[in-house]
Amino acid sequence: MLAILIDGIVQGLQLSLMAVGITLIFGLGGVLNLAHGQFAVIGGIATALLMGEGLHPLLASALGVLGAGALGLAMDRTVLVPAYRYQGEERLLLGLLITLGLSFVVNGFLDVRYPTVALTLPLPTPSFTVGGITIRTASAVVALIALAAFALLFAFLKATLLGKVVRSIMQNEVGAGLCGINPGRIRTLIVTLSAMMAGLAGVVQGLFSSLGTELGNEFTSFALIVAVIGGVRSINGTLVAGVLLGIINAFASYYVGAYLTLLILLVTAAGTILVRPQGLFAFRT
Amino acid sequence: MSILLGADAVEVAYADISVVRGVSLEVRAGESVAVIGPNGAGKTTLFKAIAGMLGLRGGSISYGGARIDGRRHYEIVQQGIVYVPAERELFPHMSVLENLELGAYPCYGARAERLKFVLDLFPRLLERRRQLAGTLSGGEQQMLAIGRGLMSRPKVLLLDEPSTGLAPFFVSEIYRQFAQLKREGLTILLAEQQVPHALGFTDRAYVLENGRVRLSGASRELLGNEEIQRTYLGMG
Repeated sequence: MLAILIDGIVQGLQLSLMAVGITLIFGLGGVLNLAHGQFAVIGGIATALLMGEGLHPLLASALGVLGAGALGLAMDRTVLVPAYRYQGEERLLLGLLITLGLSFVVNGFLDVRYPTVALTLPLPTPSFTVGGITIRTASAVVALIALAAFALLFAFLKATLLGKVVRSIMQNEVGAGLCGINPGRIRTLIVTLSAMMAGLAGVVQGLFSSLGTELGNEFTSFALIVAVIGGVRSINGTLVAGVLLGIINAFASYYVGAYLTLLILLVTAAGTILVRPQGLFAFRT
Repeated sequence: MSILLGADAVEVAYADISVVRGVSLEVRAGESVAVIGPNGAGKTTLFKAIAGMLGLRGGSISYGGARIDGRRHYEIVQQGIVYVPAERELFPHMSVLENLELGAYPCYGARAERLKFVLDLFPRLLERRRQLAGTLSGGEQQMLAIGRGLMSRPKVLLLDEPSTGLAPFFVSEIYRQFAQLKREGLTILLAEQQVPHALGFTDRAYVLENGRVRLSGASRELLGNEEIQRTYLGMG
């Protein structure tokens, strides 16, 4: 039981890491990024390829995360430009189509070029015991990485001018413009940062088990569910929802199997929209 | 004094329907000018066009001798024209201080000095500084919106219906602050339905009706104008 719970929490943290980018890009840019899981896969696969070239895993991981960021930057500055010309619903719909198209392209490219590449990052000691509980080293490392990433993100949002600017645009884009803030520049930064966090979530997958090229859509689905349950404009909500869903996922997978689990999660997300459209945890940053 | 802000035959349309139809006006440096008129006369549309939030269909807008129409709204803020809309557009989940701090975005190095200036002007904001903007009363929110606008050290302040939804006490209070800002040399363009307040405070005024300037002149003279008295002051 406890092992399942710990597993769930850690996987949940990884989900949060993936989903926070969806929250940020939607809150700031008004685009639901359907290629978000692909950023995670690109980060992980790039890491695997660089390690194949003989790079140290840490260096390769860092470069992989940067690579995911570069893809995010490119997406914001090229294919999403037409969507940004519009506001509201039009932007959302155009953004959905564009990012869906991008996910197809990335999936296809990886399938053709690197069909057999996968990322696994084995750790020197597979597990350790604390107070009678055996914990996988990978779980501990993933939890630490995810918590550190969130701590940095919150510090950035609360304590820096740029972070406050990000929150201001999420709360009121018109108001931000009245303060002389150029939302476009900030948006580019946030899309890049979000892609990097997804890339990190992808690399982290290699610690758990293995990251293959086919996982992009699954990542996107899970991240979307987490973002919806947490409230698509709430970063704290995303963190909490990720952990909650990780726990539900772990227990449900154990007792009822993976397919039913995904359904349970979807129903949870749909129920959230019906009962609390602002998200289950609607305290905002 | 030289003309600081000028609109020349400005036309603005929403979906092909003209809302502002050839409005020209001038504001000199240090002057306070009112734009009055009924709901739907085009006051807000005109202000949004000056602030760069709406594109022009015709005419031009100049500031300090250079054309600014076509510039992005955030560039216009950085140049010194700040628009305070009737909707206030605050950041509801941020504190009063954070709202003010963001107002100083274009001159962030000077934020401490600006903050002192704004909090001296609106001591009530000092009392409420840790409170979230969304929890303030209507009058306090209006003060915060004006205060946030002042943080970037603007040369021109565009105030759109600042008295909307405010209790009479607050209306008198914010007009007292406007008078002080005017004495300090700030140029103010004010759209207002509270005609007595607006004409009492400003130097000159334009009367907008159906997107056109119907009358203009010294505010004091307009206060004595029979038509104005009949239409806007409920006299006659």
